[in-house]
This record gives sequence, structure tokens and C-alpha cells, in this order.
Amino acid sequence: MSLTNDKFLNISNSIKNSYLDEWKNNKKKVLGYYCTYIPEELFYAAGFLPYRIRATGHELDELADIYMVRFTCGFVRLTLDLALRGGYDFLDGLFITNCCDHARRMYELYDLVVFKRKEIKQKPPQFYVALPHVINEDGFEWYLDEIKLLKEQIEQEYTLKEIDNSQLKEAIKIYNENRSLLREIYNLRTLDNPKLTGSEFLQISMANTSVPKEIANNELRRILEIIKNSKDLSNNRKRIMLVGSVVDNINFTKLVEDSGAIIVSDFLCFGERNILDDVDLNGDLLENIAKRTYYRMSCPRMMDDHKKRYDFLLKEIERAKVDGVILQRINNCDLHGCENMLLEHELKDLGIPSLNIDREAFLTDTTRLQTRIEAFYEMIK
Amino acid sequence: MVNRTELENKVIPYKILLETLQNTYDLVDSILLDNTIPSLKIGLKYLIQNIEANIEKAGDGLPVVGHHFAFQSEYLDCFDVVPICIEGTSYILSALLPDGVEKYYDLMRNWGHPFHTCSSQKGVMGMTLDDLFRFDAIICPTAPCDNTMASYPYFKYQADVPMVLPDMPFIHKEKSFKYYAKQIKKGLEDLGKIIGQKPDWDELKKHLEIDNKSINTQLEIFELKKAIPCPVENFYNAMSAAVTIFMAGKEEKVKYYDEMLESAKNNYRKKKHHGGEEKIRCIFPYMLIFFDLGLCEWLDRELGMSILFDIFNYNFTKPIRTTDSLDTMFYDMARKGMEFPMMKQSTDFYYNFIDDCVNMAKEFKSDCFIFTMHIGCKQFGSVVQVLREALRDETGIPVLMLDLDVGDKRMTSMKVLRDKISLFAQTLL
Ligand code: SF4
Ligand code: SF4
Repeated sequence: MSLTNDKFLNISNSIKNSYLDEWKNNKKKVLGYYCTYIPEELFYAAGFLPYRIRATGHELDELADIYMVRFTCGFVRLTLDLALRGGYDFLDGLFITNCCDHARRMYELYDLVVFKRKEIKQKPPQFYVALPHVINEDGFEWYLDEIKLLKEQIEQEYTLKEIDNSQLKEAIKIYNENRSLLREIYNLRTLDNPKLTGSEFLQISMANTSVPKEIANNELRRILEIIKNSKDLSNNRKRIMLVGSVVDNINFTKLVEDSGAIIVSDFLCFGERNILDDVDLNGDLLENIAKRTYYRMSCPRMMDDHKKRYDFLLKEIERAKVDGVILQRINNCDLHGCENMLLEHELKDLGIPSLNIDREAFLTDTTRLQTRIEAFYEMIK
Repeated sequence: MVNRTELENKVIPYKILLETLQNTYDLVDSILLDNTIPSLKIGLKYLIQNIEANIEKAGDGLPVVGHHFAFQSEYLDCFDVVPICIEGTSYILSALLPDGVEKYYDLMRNWGHPFHTCSSQKGVMGMTLDDLFRFDAIICPTAPCDNTMASYPYFKYQADVPMVLPDMPFIHKEKSFKYYAKQIKKGLEDLGKIIGQKPDWDELKKHLEIDNKSINTQLEIFELKKAIPCPVENFYNAMSAAVTIFMAGKEEKVKYYDEMLESAKNNYRKKKHHGGEEKIRCIFPYMLIFFDLGLCEWLDRELGMSILFDIFNYNFTKPIRTTDSLDTMFYDMARKGMEFPMMKQSTDFYYNFIDDCVNMAKEFKSDCFIFTMHIGCKQFGSVVQVLREALRDETGIPVLMLDLDVGDKRMTSMKVLRDKISLFAQTLL
């Protein structure tokens, strides 16, 4: 048994899928979001399917050009382009947080442009949570208040009744299980003889954000069995950790892996960072959801947490026996660009090989990238 | 024993700045007839005093505290320190030196700072890498942009500078001002612990009161700009940005605006336009082009185009209440911080920004907008077209967008920029 052409992994190649259609056919709602800083359990408890917006496979940006200048992030621009072409018209709502300058402005663009298109019969509601940029008690207090207000807004605009503790508990259980399954799968990448590639994990992770979590959990259990029973992958490839801007397309991970390497670990939005922490089932459940979202392993949008991220990277490098780190940013992504700058120097000081590259959201410059990546592998021989 | 020169060498770029300001002032004084560009002459005079005083303080061994431009320097007046505005220093030097601070941009780029990340931080980051600035501490709000969030950790991790980060929330609500007020107070207390000083709130109060004094004058000048022709020269906008950044809470700021008000009133009475004839009235809703402030004069004199104001000259806040409780004072400080130019627009949805632009276009009878789309400011990257559509629908006036790096002349040719503006102006006449 292998993962090649697995139906669950294939979900990651398209924007929509049959589970999503079925959900919609049952008159249930889908909520789009951009950033992993979302209290997903709360929305799930309210009966939504939280769907992570991505632009996998979309390569046009002429429509986005009108509303977003060229030096904004290519990933966000692609999603805007797709949105303007009706690619996300299945969404019944939108959640945005102030994650980065590019994605957060999508709130206004959906409001003033995307949802104003004539194809949209009724403008879907939009939700917004303001997330602090530092991690401390004051910041948490602020964030918790925001989550409480969000819950009230959902109740007023969607559920029309209170989201109760049993619903929250159920959602938390499903999400915790989901993260636990993903962790199990993830760990099979870090073995001396990995069981799956980075590209396969990325596909699993992307598919996981596009379907209801009960279904995802069943699928992940099935996939876990397949992977456990599959042959080890060859162990004479370079073991790479991939870090940086969002990767929503296996064209890039394949480029990294096809040149003689395997991505055994990552620090990416669709990767391990997102599945490390669970929500506590004891005590105030809403507060626990807020706690996980706020205190979880951060990304560079948190201004005072670089040290923790760096320490985590070092631990992962050791645990997964990483030979080299590829730091990458989508052009114009200032957050990951500057974080990678610091990491490059810090890793160099420790003698850990790293390659710092910039790229376009969809690969237009494969030859340049391939040459640099191959040269890097030569260097770490 | 450490000598004065060694201590002053903690702020070498300020010494370069002082020398450049003095040379420019001498040039202006000897070439320009009296009052030809009043804002330039008056502003330079006070800027020199300010920079001199700070170098003096560095020589006295006071701590050198770097601050983000949106953490107003008057807030640091509760300490005895040398305040260095990180963004302001990069850009004032980029305006005054022939090749700006390109050398330091390049140092940082070679160090790995991405080309698309804001040059306002890049300049001082490079100077720090070159050991020209030695900060004892840095204070920076967590706004307005990704560049701030992403670039400042460099000072902590590369140059080992202790950093205080008052968290400025997104969204302007009552609770946001309260939250940020607490953050400012705590931030100043934390900063005090780092530099070994206790914040003196009475001293702070005194400087806030000084700063309050110029608010009405600024508003009066703003009102006078409704007149046709505009009685204030374009350069006033550039100098006001520098004054706002470097002289907040100082008597020099009050004097600058008092003298400028006199000059504006004079022109108003005589219906005098700085360039001779006003042909086009224009609003720069965002920044000026710092590496070529000569543009201000060129627009006035060559095109007869008045820059009614840029982002540093249309955002005003109410005076800070200093006689009530400390809580009220910090609340007002928070409000002022969150309504500071650029902070106001970046820490909220852009609906208000668009409304403000439309209203100002009508009230000030503007013929057009020129939007400088600075490569650093990604938070504005999705507003230009929406603004263009709103202005077209509500006022019928056009927007010219210029893609550039406002602090680095190498990204876009100034000739091309001027040509674009000339062609745009022709379509308006
Ligand atoms: S890649 Fe960078 S700029 Fe793009 S959405 Fe992610 S954090 Fe934002
Ligand atoms: S100029 Fe723009 S990008 Fe640069 S610091 Fe200011 S807001 Fe940020």
C-alpha cells in the first residue's frame, strides 16, 4: 500500500472537494480563514467547517493586480485573484486576524470588493479578532476578551443561541484527536528511515484543513495504518528542515526533495508548528481554547518570541537528525524574511548548514532555485 | 576614564547629521533671500539646536535610547536620556546626504535584510552594524507594520540591545486606548529599570504640556490651507515631519509652528503663493519622497502644484489632559500614540482613512491625490485602488500612484517620477 494517488491526499490539489460539497448540501456553513491563529474549536462548536484559504494550483494574478500592489505577498495575491474569479464563493463567512499586513487587509478587500460582486447574493458575515504582538499575561487578557466578544458575535449572527460547554467539549476532543493523529504521522517523518516525504505530509496537512474534522480523523487513522505498513524510504538522502513562509503547493517541496533530499522536519504554517499544542479539557473551555491559540508555538508575527522559536528549531534539528536547513520566504514577506535573516546567522554560528532563499508563491523560477538547492546539498555532503 | 568624545561616539550619525544640518543652514542663509523658504530656514535653525543638545547629552554620559517614530520622543522626557528616533534618523540623513544612507542599506542587505523590507529601519540597523550607534536600550510599540515587528528583533539578537515593546493593539476602541495606556506606563517603568532611572511623571507632564501648546497652531495652519492659493509652501510639510519626530515636547517645536503661522497668515493676507501661481492643489495622503525633498520646491515652482498636506500634516489629536489623574494622562497619551500619523491608519481597518481622504478632498478643494506607494508599507498595498474608486465616485478627482522606496533613490529614477507627475499634471490642466 502506498500514498500515491490516495484520495485524501488528492484533496490538497484542488480548492474544493466532495466532503465540502456534501457539507454544503446538508445546508451547513463553511468559514474561510487565512492564518493558523484562529480559535477553530469555537467555530466548529458553532457548526462551521473552518476552511483554510489557499490558492493551490492557481497561477493567475491579473485581477489581484488591480487591488493589490505588486510588492505584496504572492500567496495572498493569488488568493485574492482566485476570490475575484469566484473560487471561494462557497464560503459562508470569513475570519481574519491581524497576522501579517498582507493577509489582514483581506478583510477590507473581501468586504469592499470580493463580496460585492454580483455573483454574491447575500454578503457573508465577517469576523475579526485583534491578536497582540507580544506574549504575556496582559496580552492574554486582551485576547481572551476578544474571543469572548467573538463568541457573542457568532451567537448573534449565526447560531442564534448560546454555544454551550458540551458543544465546546466535543469540538475540543475532535481537534485534539486530530492534532494527535497528525503528530503521529509527523513523527514517522523524523525516523532514521522516514516513512513519508515532506510533500506527502504537506498534502495530508492541507487536506486536513479542507474537510470536516470527523472525516479528517477517520482518514488520518486510515492513512496512519498505510504509512506504518509501508516500506521505509531510502535513508541516503539529505535530511532537510524546511522553514519560513507559507507553502501551499507541493511543487516547491517536490523541488526540494527531488534534488536528492527528504524534508524530515519543518517550521511552516501547514506543518508541525500548528499541531504541537492541545486544548485542555478541564476548567473554562473557552479560556482554554484562547490559551492554546495565544500561547502556542508562535510565528514571526509575535515580536518578542524569536528566542523560543530558535530554541525549538535547534531541538528539532537534533531530534530529526537534520543535515541542513532551508530558510525560504515568498518575496515581500517581511516577517519571514527578517526571521530567516536572524536564523541564518544563528545557525551559521553553530556550524549548522543553512540556505536562505526567496521565491515566488507559484514557481516561476524553478531553474534558479534548483541550482541553488543542489549546490547547497553538495555543500553539506 | 571615558572621555566626552568617546561618549559622543555612541551617536556618530548624529554628529554627521549636525554637520550636514549646519552646512545646509549656512548654504540656505547665504544663498536664499530672507524668507524664500521660511519653513526650511526656521526648521533647520531649531533642528540644529535639538541635535546639538542631544550630542551634548551623549557626551555627558546619559543613556542612549533608540525609539520607534511612533513612540513619541516627548514620552521619553520622563528620563534624562538621549532619544534617537530610528526611522527619523534614517530618513533625515537620506534627505540631506548626497547618497543618503545607501551605504548602510547595503550593509544590511548584505547581512540578509530583505530588499523589500522598510529602509526607515534598514538605515539605522546598518549604522548599528557598523558600530556607529551604541544603544543602551530601545523602546518600540508593536505597530504599525510587519517591518517594525520583523526588523526590531535584530537590535536585540544581533546588537544585544535590551528592548521594551509596549503592545499597541489593532482596532481603535475604548478598550484599546486603555490597554495601550497601561502598556506605555509599564513600558516606561521597564525602560527605567534597564537604564537605572525612575520615570519622573512630573517632568513628563511638563513636556506634554509644551507639546500641547503647538496643537492649536498646527490646526490654524491646517485651516489656512483651505485658502486658494495655499498660503504655505510645500516644504513646510517635510519640515513638519522632522519637527514632529525630533522636537516633540520641546519649546523649539512650539516656536517653529508659531513662526510658521505668522508666515502663513502673511501669505494669506497677500494671497501669495510660494511658487508664484497655484495651478493644481494636491494631497499626498501618505508620505513625501524623503530622498528628494527638492520635489517640494519643484512642484511649487515648476508645476504650480501645492501639496496641501502629507500624512504627517493632517493627523491631529486633542491636547493631552495633564491636570487630572495619571490614568487620564496615560489614556490620552495612548490615544495620541494610536492616532499618530500612520499608526492611525495602520492600527485600524482602512474605512476611516478612505472617508478622511474623501472629506479632505472636498473641504480643501483638492484637484488630485499623489499616493507614494512605499515598498515597505505592505499594509497600504491594498488600499490604493479602493481609495481611487472612492475618490472617483465621490469627488471625481484622480489618484496618481508612485511605486518607490521613499528612502532609497536607487529603486526608482527620480527623473521618471518627475516625468510621471508632469504628465499627470498636464491631464489636470
Ligand atoms: S507568506 Fe508572509 S506575507 Fe505571505 S501570508 Fe504568510 S506571513 Fe503573510
Ligand atoms: S514607512 Fe511604512 S513600512 Fe516603514 S516603518 Fe513606517 S509604516 Fe512601517
